[in-house]
Amino acid sequence: MARIRTTVDGLVYEDDVEPRMLLVQYLRERLGKTGTVIGCDTSNCGACTVHLDGLSVKSCSVLAVQANGSEVLTVEGLERDGQLHPVQQAFHDNHALQCGYCTPGMIMQSIDLLGDNPDPTEQEVREGIEGNLCRCTGYQNIVRAVQDAAQKMKPGATASQPASVAGGGA
Amino acid sequence: MDLLTVETFARPTDDDALRALQPTLGADRTLLGGGTWLFSVPQPHLAGVVDLAGLGWEPLVAAGDGLTVAATTTLAALGDVDPSSYPAWPAVASFRGCAEALVGSRKVRQVATVGGNVCLALPAAPMITLAAVLDATATIWLPDGRSRTAPVVDLVAGPQRNALAPGEVLRSLHLPAVALRARTALRKASLSPLGRSAALLAGRRGEDGFVLAVTASLPRPAVLRYDDVPTAGALAADVAAAGETVGGGWYDDPHGSPAWRRAMSLLFAEEIRRELGGTG
Ligand SMILES: Cc1cc2nc3c(=O)[nH]c(=O)nc-3n(C[C@H](O)[C@H](O)[C@H](O)COP(=O)(O)OP(=O)(O)OC[C@H]3O[C@@H](n4cnc5c(N)ncnc54)[C@H](O)[C@@H]3O)c2cc1C
Ligand code: FES
Ligand code: FES
Repeated sequence: MARIRTTVDGLVYEDDVEPRMLLVQYLRERLGKTGTVIGCDTSNCGACTVHLDGLSVKSCSVLAVQANGSEVLTVEGLERDGQLHPVQQAFHDNHALQCGYCTPGMIMQSIDLLGDNPDPTEQEVREGIEGNLCRCTGYQNIVRAVQDAAQKMKPGATASQPASVAGGGA
Repeated sequence: MDLLTVETFARPTDDDALRALQPTLGADRTLLGGGTWLFSVPQPHLAGVVDLAGLGWEPLVAAGDGLTVAATTTLAALGDVDPSSYPAWPAVASFRGCAEALVGSRKVRQVATVGGNVCLALPAAPMITLAAVLDATATIWLPDGRSRTAPVVDLVAGPQRNALAPGEVLRSLHLPAVALRARTALRKASLSPLGRSAALLAGRRGEDGFVLAVTASLPRPAVLRYDDVPTAGALAADVAAAGETVGGGWYDDPHGSPAWRRAMSLLFAEEIRRELGGTG
């Protein structure tokens, strides 16, 4: 067992974990954060995407012990004061989900992308969410939602968002 | 991917601690770079991992004789290097193209390391392409505390086979200034726009001549050298000959047939030759 201390969605957790425990298992099984899902067994689908110290990573490809001392942000930590993050809101507004299984990963990756590139073209969105697979193939509306969110997150736009979760690249 | 058999995890935080662990490395205890490959396939033999992420190695160290890239540098960090920070080294502009030739998405590139990419030794490993065209030298730490150096291309024994001995650690890649002063060109072919590279060719032209690295289409890299830009015919003949000999011939896997890889390699070689000023 190894002792880890990790900040997840703004709260500090201390736990003893087996060295082999994946971060995604820690989030789901220990912390009950089932918003982060597992879609494959081969590091290919991106459904498990979270932010680790501000960068998007696949939580199925990181051990929980590797996150010791780090900050993890999951899709469950995006909402503030009952308000969805602009990217969550844009997915809702643009019907950017069908079964919804890929959605947490898509949203986390999109936030990372918008942190790097606040005004991406359609092609840049497609490349930016490369490696996040939607089995329902709803990419059209997903891309639309990311571009919509980009507009709403521009300084001076109506939707407001706390700076701490405004961009993954921060 | 569950790594159910892993029982130990070590994250050395200084060089001495890593050195002390090196003799314990072997088939059942391996190095963890970014883990982007290690966690993507079953590793039933694995009982322990030694994570390199805590060592704090400086990603890039520039000196008069060139640039040293730590093995732990991520592909995203390398790709984000601003070429305008190195005005004397135009070849730095090729870093981004090479980093992005790993199609695992930015999520993967943000953790995948240069060292992991080289040591995994996939034919489509873009850090091997970069190292091949820029004549990079690897510094390798031996388990007995000594170090050795070797051309990075010589570390590639074949697809997913490197030439490191058990317990050896790739510490860094050195890119010599003479190569960094050259102009470079890069071409990539894959079956889909964001697919795994089936042919990845890079060229450089500088004060020490013209160099072409043919990768991804061959099981291991071929590096062709000329005093100056060769003629179209000479280059095509050499690329075709490399395809017959290096590593056993044009590579064959689901990412592209040997015949197509051959055709793309010949096409790209000529495009690179022309981009770097070749005529005739
Ligand atoms: C979706 C996806 C797409 C991918 N696409 C590509 C692609 O296009 N091209 C490609 O080449 N790869 C690809 N990969 C494979 C892999 O992600 C990359 O090769 C990556 O660069 C490996 O680096 P890493 O740091 O994650 O290595 P790890 O997975 O940590 O390690 C890889 C191997 O190298 C060893 N190793 C790591 N660092 C060192 C060191 N310093 N010294 C000695 N040994 C070391 C490890 O023990 C292990 O055997 C892909 C992976 C995924 C999941
Ligand atoms: S569950 Fe992590 S990439 Fe599929
Ligand atoms: S909405 Fe079903 S997998 Fe994307």
